[in-house]
Amino acid sequence: MSAIKKLFGILWSLMGVGIIPLVILQAMKEIAAKPSEENWIFWSIVIVVLMPIIAFSLITFGVFALKGEYDVLE
Amino acid sequence: MAQNVTNVSQTEEVSSTRRVIAASSVGTLIEWYDFYIFGTLAKIISEQFFPKDNPTAALLATLATFAAGFVIRPFGALFFGRLGDLIGRKYTFLVTLVIMGGSTFAIGLVPGYKTIGFFAPAIVFALRLLQGLALGGEYGGAATYVAEHSPEGKRGFWTSFIQTTATLGLFLALGVILIVRQTLTVPVFEDWGWRIPFIVSAFLVGVSIFIRLKMSESPMFVKMKKEGKTSANPLAESFKKKDNLKMVLIALLGATAGQGVVWYTGQFYALSFLQNACNIEFEQSNTIILIALVLGTPFFIVFGALSDKIGRKYIMMAGMLIAVIAYRPIYTMMYNEADLKQKTEIVEQTKVEVKEAVKGTDTITTTVTKKTFTDGTTFKETVKSTIPLDPVKKAELAAKDKLKPEKKKAVILPQNLYYKMIGYVFIQVIFVTMVYGPIAAFLVEIFPTRIRYTSMSLPYHIGNGVFGGLVPLISTRLVEATRPAPGLPPADPLAGLWYPILIASVSFVIGMLYISNKTNNMDVE
Repeated sequence: MSAIKKLFGILWSLMGVGIIPLVILQAMKEIAAKPSEENWIFWSIVIVVLMPIIAFSLITFGVFALKGEYDVLE
Repeated sequence: MAQNVTNVSQTEEVSSTRRVIAASSVGTLIEWYDFYIFGTLAKIISEQFFPKDNPTAALLATLATFAAGFVIRPFGALFFGRLGDLIGRKYTFLVTLVIMGGSTFAIGLVPGYKTIGFFAPAIVFALRLLQGLALGGEYGGAATYVAEHSPEGKRGFWTSFIQTTATLGLFLALGVILIVRQTLTVPVFEDWGWRIPFIVSAFLVGVSIFIRLKMSESPMFVKMKKEGKTSANPLAESFKKKDNLKMVLIALLGATAGQGVVWYTGQFYALSFLQNACNIEFEQSNTIILIALVLGTPFFIVFGALSDKIGRKYIMMAGMLIAVIAYRPIYTMMYNEADLKQKTEIVEQTKVEVKEAVKGTDTITTTVTKKTFTDGTTFKETVKSTIPLDPVKKAELAAKDKLKPEKKKAVILPQNLYYKMIGYVFIQVIFVTMVYGPIAAFLVEIFPTRIRYTSMSLPYHIGNGVFGGLVPLISTRLVEATRPAPGLPPADPLAGLWYPILIASVSFVIGMLYISNKTNNMDVE
């Protein structure tokens, strides 16, 4: 179980890192296609609020999991 | 004799715990009520406070304000959580109640956009932020306060009463809105009657403050303070110490994020889906949600109590997993029940009424079409077009594509389909009760008393406020993305479900792998 937790730790960290370019590129693509107020509001909320929370928490959580910090919680 | 003394002491303890629960729950319920009347009246608020030129932009602006209310909640959690760990639970969540009641009452008094222009949305926005800030401080305080009064082994049961308040707050909000709307008639309600549910809040909050003033401080906090063991810096202790930060992260990613999206999908998204995708008439859609909530609410207590027996983890995880698997089939059935393309119209019963009137400088043409279907469903479409009498102005508006008529669609379901819809929403409310019923006890038990208010409030409000609160905005967006062209129906009206499904799936995997089921044995001390 401990090995699985650590292995998944890598996955969470990679997901946290990967989400940053994914979201920014999608935002740029959609705003370029239709630079409307709606698009700006939506992507601002996603980039300023949602993305940093997801990225930071997944990366930190992944690193903790990889270091075995959660192994004691059986 | 000794037996009698023990019995009296036990009775007093139960009675005292009941008072604590009642006083905490009433205040929290009213805070939720305050918070939800804004969301429930989103459409009317958008018409009152945001420019009407572009209805979608107006609605999105309201949703953004709605989200801002949620996004600000984590800041409230930090601010008031710190205060609660420093000066005590009682006074902190008394302050949050005053701020919430004051800002809700004030929203009911703000003049519309037509009267004070840009100041109207700006003031409403500021008041909405205050609401979010207050709510951020309330829940953690109430859950901590009740948990710290609860007997060992019954924490899940006692805190589950706090868990019912969010749903009951929504229920109260919908109920008050429906009563006011029916009493005043729809046009009056849309003109000024919508303000009444906001103003009523002042009375409710007044009663709640009176009750809370009589409560005593949490015994654990008092003991800790006497011993000089309170935290000097709860924020630093909560989020800079690795041992605590790792619990904050597991609480967020493995529990509250998934719980937040399941909660909002089962209640808010369900209502929005009934009204916007299924076009179910306002009162019918609201009563569907209301009845499902009433039927489902006792299950918060059922699952809270069950978590004392079998642990918090598996109940919450089962709720997330079943929700992930069942959402698409449930919403497909909901959509099909109301889809007019799948019904047979009784053409001879179709009625079309056209009314034309001159109002000021405009000609207003209203066309009302009523259709009846063989299964008993009725459909009413109102198309209202406003054309200026002045041909120059008319040409100007036509050039700007601003002569589009307003359309309102309302599907009224027959009784059998109405009950089926209640059933579909009820199933979703059960998922909500599974993930939400045990979560207060779960959060309380993984953090120590000295920083509990701060530590549990943040993951709760990020999970619910950010992940959950953004469900309407992100789901609307996902559905819009499938619309082939403006004016055409979306290709996939269920696309909005992918967001809650994805978040709940990740949360489920993390929760199953990393959360311990033994938290119910942990000592609150």
